[in-house]
Amino acid sequence: MTALAPSRPRLDATGIGFAIVLTIVIVLPLLVVGTWAFTEVWRYPNVVPQQFGLRFWNQTLGRADVWSALTLSLQLSTVVTLLSAVICLPAAYAFARMSFPGRNILFFSFLAGHAFPKFGLLIAIAAIFLQLNLIGTFWGVVLIQLVGTLMFMIWIPVAAFQGVDRRMEEAARDVGAGPFRVFWSITLPQAAPTIFAAVLLSFVGTFYETEGAWLIGAPGIRTMPVLMISFINNQMVIQYGAVLSVMLWVPSFIALMFARRVIGGGAFARGFGG
Amino acid sequence: MTDTVVTAQRPLLETSERRRPVGLLLVAIPVFLIAWLIIWPIINAIGRTLWRADANGDVGFTIASYVKFFSDQYSVDNLAVTLWTTGMCALFLLVICLPIALYLRFSAGRLPAYVQALAIFPMFVPSIILAYAFIRVLGPNGMADILLNSVGLPKIRTPYLTPWGPVIGLVWDNIPLTILILLSGLGGVSNQSIEAARDVGAKRYQVFWHIILPRITNSILVALSFSILGIFSSFTLPYLLGPASPEMMGPFMQRTFREVNDPIGAITQAVITFGFCIVFGLFYVRSVARNQGK
Repeated sequence: MTALAPSRPRLDATGIGFAIVLTIVIVLPLLVVGTWAFTEVWRYPNVVPQQFGLRFWNQTLGRADVWSALTLSLQLSTVVTLLSAVICLPAAYAFARMSFPGRNILFFSFLAGHAFPKFGLLIAIAAIFLQLNLIGTFWGVVLIQLVGTLMFMIWIPVAAFQGVDRRMEEAARDVGAGPFRVFWSITLPQAAPTIFAAVLLSFVGTFYETEGAWLIGAPGIRTMPVLMISFINNQMVIQYGAVLSVMLWVPSFIALMFARRVIGGGAFARGFGG
Repeated sequence: MTDTVVTAQRPLLETSERRRPVGLLLVAIPVFLIAWLIIWPIINAIGRTLWRADANGDVGFTIASYVKFFSDQYSVDNLAVTLWTTGMCALFLLVICLPIALYLRFSAGRLPAYVQALAIFPMFVPSIILAYAFIRVLGPNGMADILLNSVGLPKIRTPYLTPWGPVIGLVWDNIPLTILILLSGLGGVSNQSIEAARDVGAKRYQVFWHIILPRITNSILVALSFSILGIFSSFTLPYLLGPASPEMMGPFMQRTFREVNDPIGAITQAVITFGFCIVFGLFYVRSVARNQGK
């Protein structure tokens, strides 16, 4: 990507314009939320809060519903991610390396979920869960969130397995390594970083999944995002929402750090059809 | 079609003949989940809304639930506001993301890297946190009001709980993927072709119109299809930021299903959203499939 306009003046006005506007539009709202989390008193029309403090952290963390929602969300995300990894990774390996009847059509069937408006699909699934008495149950939410991770957990690992250098595997086989030994010592280590990123993304994605949890889980299953919705709707103490946002932000930030390589590589956009 | 392809390849694959059933076995569970929780609900939804028991208990073909939807003014208003929101979002996304993507494609250095990082950032902000931040900034007496007030300007007319609320939130949320898809498309425009056009005296907008645009039309359509699929039936942002009436199809379906307790009505609405999105869905799937096939 070399600059095409050598005649352009040193000052990159377009870039500065974009940078300023995006900073205001994207960073400012998040800064405001961050500020609210550490604010004890902030009355209109003061530009900065009158009093900073951690009082509301204690209050928020002292609430039983926050802890039960957090525990539940972590349980759900762990169960969904583990199940997803167990069923998807072998399938991804099969799609990447094996040949079987209907391989292509089955591979692209994972796109089906993305070809329909998501909430409409959730309603159609919910109608079936209603007949199966899965509404309001832990496993109902697990199933709905599991479906949401499928495409991610198959397509990204397939690319990872396809990216492994076949010559190294053949070399290992030539010196007498068995198929499992080759997989464990050659294939897996090369594919592991990308697979790990996919697992992480699916964990974080499940943690924040709101719509399925709200539609299928309510009223029995209250995950963290569902709790946030009720905090926002019921207009309770402003700071509760801010503190939760900052807390919820942490997993997302970790994902950001780890997933950079996957997303930066352009593979991500290609997966979305770019 | 797939079968013939597989048959044609068979002679090449004699070594893996033994593995074939294993491959099918390994993919069985995810494929079963897709069939059970994606394909079947869709067929079931269409079936249940079209074949229903009438007053005498006889099951037969009827479009009564669709007639009911389209003859109900409230439902039609909801559909209209959904179409309006989706159209507005698509328009704004294009107007905002295309210039940014073009800028990022044709510049290098630290400033573009910063712009790109910011533009991708919303991807890592869960929509629930976005909704909260929106209310704190653009809501009544929010940060925007505070800042305007401090320089002596009047308050804004808050978009919170108006149809513009979901539009702003959804555009914010969809910027990263739109830019990523456009950038990926712009990657296919070669520098040589642009330099060649410049050499024969093409102006900037001519280069854009005649060289760049034809090559990224597909990416633009994919980006828009993808956002439209997400926006048309979005739930969280319209539910939290939009007006209570008319509401978008997402919150409307949710309310019909949970609060009004009318699953058939909700499924009817879902099938109607499928109908409106089918073109975008098929186009999106076709593009992704073609891309992977390359």
